[in-house]
Amino acid sequence: MNEREVIIKLDDVYYRYPRAEEYVIKGLDLKIYKGEFVAIMGENGAGKTTLCQLLSGIIPQSQGGKMLGNVTVCGLDTQDHELAILTQKIGIVLEDPETQLFTTSVLNEVAFGAENIEMDPDLILETAKWALDVVTLNGYEKRHPTMLSGGQKQRVAIASAIMMRPEVLVLDEPTSQLDPIGTVEVFETVRRLKDEYNMTIVTATHQSEAIARFADRVIVLHQGAILADGTPAEVFSNKEVVAKAFLTVPQVSGLFIALQDCGVNLGKFPILLEDGIEMLQKAAVKGEQTHE
Amino acid sequence: MSVVEYIDGKSIFHKLDPRFKLIMLLAITLVIFTVRNAWVICGMFVMVFICWKIAGIPIRKLTGMLKILLGLVSFIFLAQALFQIAVPGIVNPFRPILNGEPNLYFLNPLIPNTIPVIGGIGKISVNGVRMGFLVSIRLLTLICLMPLVTMTTEINVLALGLVKMGLPYKAAYMATTALNMVPTLQAEIGTIMDAQKLRAFTVFEEGNIPQKLKAYPTLVVPLVIGAMKKAQLMGVAMDARAFGCRKNRTYIDKLNYGTKDNIAFVILAVIVVGLISLNFIL
Repeated sequence: MNEREVIIKLDDVYYRYPRAEEYVIKGLDLKIYKGEFVAIMGENGAGKTTLCQLLSGIIPQSQGGKMLGNVTVCGLDTQDHELAILTQKIGIVLEDPETQLFTTSVLNEVAFGAENIEMDPDLILETAKWALDVVTLNGYEKRHPTMLSGGQKQRVAIASAIMMRPEVLVLDEPTSQLDPIGTVEVFETVRRLKDEYNMTIVTATHQSEAIARFADRVIVLHQGAILADGTPAEVFSNKEVVAKAFLTVPQVSGLFIALQDCGVNLGKFPILLEDGIEMLQKAAVKGEQTHE
Repeated sequence: MSVVEYIDGKSIFHKLDPRFKLIMLLAITLVIFTVRNAWVICGMFVMVFICWKIAGIPIRKLTGMLKILLGLVSFIFLAQALFQIAVPGIVNPFRPILNGEPNLYFLNPLIPNTIPVIGGIGKISVNGVRMGFLVSIRLLTLICLMPLVTMTTEINVLALGLVKMGLPYKAAYMATTALNMVPTLQAEIGTIMDAQKLRAFTVFEEGNIPQKLKAYPTLVVPLVIGAMKKAQLMGVAMDARAFGCRKNRTYIDKLNYGTKDNIAFVILAVIVVGLISLNFIL
């Protein structure tokens, strides 16, 4: 574990919003490693959005407020480096697909950030082609962003964030307003970024099914502090954490928890549907054999 | 459909440089407020509509806006007609020059004082009606001029035009983002009104004017709060993409100023000079 490259580091971070009295982030210590797919879970108000904005430097640079401790991303302290530099290391996709798209065409939208850091227009067009390829939206350059579906809008937002070729992509509940198809589209795109470009992914989400399938690690926040940190299977099988942070576990896990409560113990704890089916099939075969 | 929504097209107005269009807007505005003859402005108003046709702006789709505009203009007209005070020395807008001299006029009540009982009632004066007409037609022409620029220029190109004219890019984006918000706010109004209708609140459809006035806060308050929230979120999204971090920025859009724009400038100059010099003839 120690040999892996640490890409994000939080050292005893506290944060409270301007005009607020209470800290929403309370003493966070965290290391995220290069190439990891980390999901941040927790009930509303647990500090997920704040953490995402802390990582990208928006907090405290544009939000203000009081911050203690340090956040380091790719070796850069987020408080000491301007957003123009940070955006080239860490991209962020926000929750609402509507408010984060504000230009008149998909191409302009994707180019917006690169224009702001004074990238050469020819290079922008070249990179935009790549970014739209990654999110499979080639051919949509001239479309008005408002004319796209929710999933497509979020993919445009992802393309906009990866335009600066960042090493880390942070997504703040990117699928909370999307239908199931849009959700799959977004997570497939994010997985492609991780697999093909070794991008580190940090996403705040409530979608336990998607986490089970895509994430390497789950961090559970509760009242601004870390409640649990482990693999999806470890976190979802921890009844105490699930209850305390009001987590929804994948349906198949829910079924096995219910079976356990009835005294039926099948050994392993599945988080993916196919694993659950396999275990049930095995159990059924075993049951038949015993019966015979 | 809103006046600031871009309509794709190939008309001459679409092809002209945004800088020309912005200067045209300023120049014609200047003319509208300089020309004293109401008939000349009526002529300009007709011309603006002909330009709408040339630019391919669908009049049918803007009837909503025109209705609101007519309401506003009627109000201004009435206000002028009722409260125009007799100021000696105001020039008659229908005939500013008479026999080579400024045609001044004085208060004449619409209903002459000589008629018993109703004479001079409401202080509606011929002067007031005339001035009301002048102010109304000026405002109508001015507002109807806007779509010729906003509906034929993409917002990002308009922003680039403003920047190339020397405006700081943050200010240019502030202006164009505000324009971009208009359709969003219109949609928001629709949503709020639908939500109200679903709870049997139909004052905006069936109520009378005092009821409607009383009900406006129920529409405006959520609209403003929603807009503020949206603006804040948009600000975060813009910050996240390094907007405003550098003094300058680059643009993938290009402006191609050419012969067509030079010709347009000459035509504009002729029109402006011609219309202003009409002040000395009519």
